[in-house]
Amino acid sequence: MANNPPKFTGPGSPRDVPPASGDPGFDPYNMPAPVREEVLKPDPVALDTNAEELKDGTNHCPKCASTDIRQKPGTDLLVCAFCRNEWQGERVEEEFALGVGQDQLDGTIIASGARDIAADEAVLRTFKCNCCGAEVTINTESEMTARCHWCRNVFGVNQQVANGAVPDAVLPFHIKKDDAIARIRQFVDKRRFFALKAFKEEFTPENVISVYMPYMIVDGKATAQVQGKGEIETRKYTRGSGNNKTTYYDADVYQVDRRMDFTVDDLPLESSAERADLNTGHNTNNIINTIQPFDTKNAVKWNAQYLRGCSSEKRDLDVEQMKPRLVDQLLSIARAKVEGSVNRYDRGVRWEKEGLKVHGSRWVAMYLPVWLYSYYQQDSGMLHYIAVNGRTGETMGSVPVQQWKLILVSLTAGTIIEGLAIWFMTVAS
Amino acid sequence: MSDDSGLWLLALGPAGGVGLYWALYRYYRNTDKSHAFERETKVETKPVTGSDTQVGTNNGTRDRRISGDNVSDYRERVERIRNDSG
Repeated sequence: MANNPPKFTGPGSPRDVPPASGDPGFDPYNMPAPVREEVLKPDPVALDTNAEELKDGTNHCPKCASTDIRQKPGTDLLVCAFCRNEWQGERVEEEFALGVGQDQLDGTIIASGARDIAADEAVLRTFKCNCCGAEVTINTESEMTARCHWCRNVFGVNQQVANGAVPDAVLPFHIKKDDAIARIRQFVDKRRFFALKAFKEEFTPENVISVYMPYMIVDGKATAQVQGKGEIETRKYTRGSGNNKTTYYDADVYQVDRRMDFTVDDLPLESSAERADLNTGHNTNNIINTIQPFDTKNAVKWNAQYLRGCSSEKRDLDVEQMKPRLVDQLLSIARAKVEGSVNRYDRGVRWEKEGLKVHGSRWVAMYLPVWLYSYYQQDSGMLHYIAVNGRTGETMGSVPVQQWKLILVSLTAGTIIEGLAIWFMTVAS
Repeated sequence: MSDDSGLWLLALGPAGGVGLYWALYRYYRNTDKSHAFERETKVETKPVTGSDTQVGTNNGTRDRRISGDNVSDYRERVERIRNDSG
């Protein structure tokens, strides 16, 4: 009987309705301990981007094994400060096949650097220097590399600690500091007249700093549905005469339903709660949001040496906390895409209901490069940013205004227009 | 010129002043800017399907557009159809 082919009908065959995903079909708590442990063990992360070769925290030059490694400015290359050897980090796009398969996404796939943040994981991490044995502490809130104060060996936080500080990938800076300074200066030079006096006096773009900002880069597959009313003009006519003419419109009203399947590739979402708050009433984070997009396709596998001399912000949001924002942005994308299919409604469409089903999403944590100049406005307590995209050079900023000057000029302009209007009325009557 | 068209001319001064203030304020502070992800994200769509059914007429209206037109306000959320999930 052992050689019989499997049965195609009856219990235990594919004709059975399969158990729900993740349901082993029995209660593991009634099983012996070894079986229970195996069944209850967490699933392996779908995408393991942890770099085995960097686990000890040191990144050696492949040629001379020195640890004094820097990014070559303006490129994605790493260069050894000792023997000048240059090499390229691996692009995650190819390494983990992130550029393909969006239409086959099913469920939530989370790369290992985007896993949930453990609440008890410390921000200050201590590493033992593997050269001399000294203990070196790194504050992962803002730095990812340090030099051993005893033997000058260079350390990097390369292993993916569960405090959210180590992402899957990093997009190195291409725009150099001089270039960023020039762009910031040019941006502000176009906005000088009404700028706050103190801001102009203290303006020193040389103080710009290079920051790696935490983002989640999301691929998704979804179905969107929208329902509403649309109107098509059927007649336009005028009633009355002389000055009392009024135009009237007749229109047909339609119930409009639209449905669309779509995939998105590399949608960036801020993964720091503070940066994701785009309320322009009390912060200027929208400036950093505006300099997107980044060429995230060129991101390389995480290596702390890219962050030498730069500061970094730590991710503090988990995938589940960011899902509502993903749904919101996917709905916006869907609404933008269906607009082309309702062109015939020349009087417009009023969408009344919308729905979204996310079939699958893939989350990769990434550090993106930003040149950041900031100015703290004392009286309002507002922190104004001027940000330069570290890859494309796109610049955006918030320049504080001298309110009395702006109000005075607006009042003057309003008074002149009003004067002209009164003069015109007098002449006309 | 009719009587009421003379009155709206008087509103031009305050409107012009406030308009200039907001235009300059936004030019400096850029509070209206954000990432245009609707246009700048790579999206692949299957053909849009759907239905269009005439449900009535709206005759003799003085409005140029349908009331509550939000076809271009992509980020304005409307009532959510249940059964959706994140």
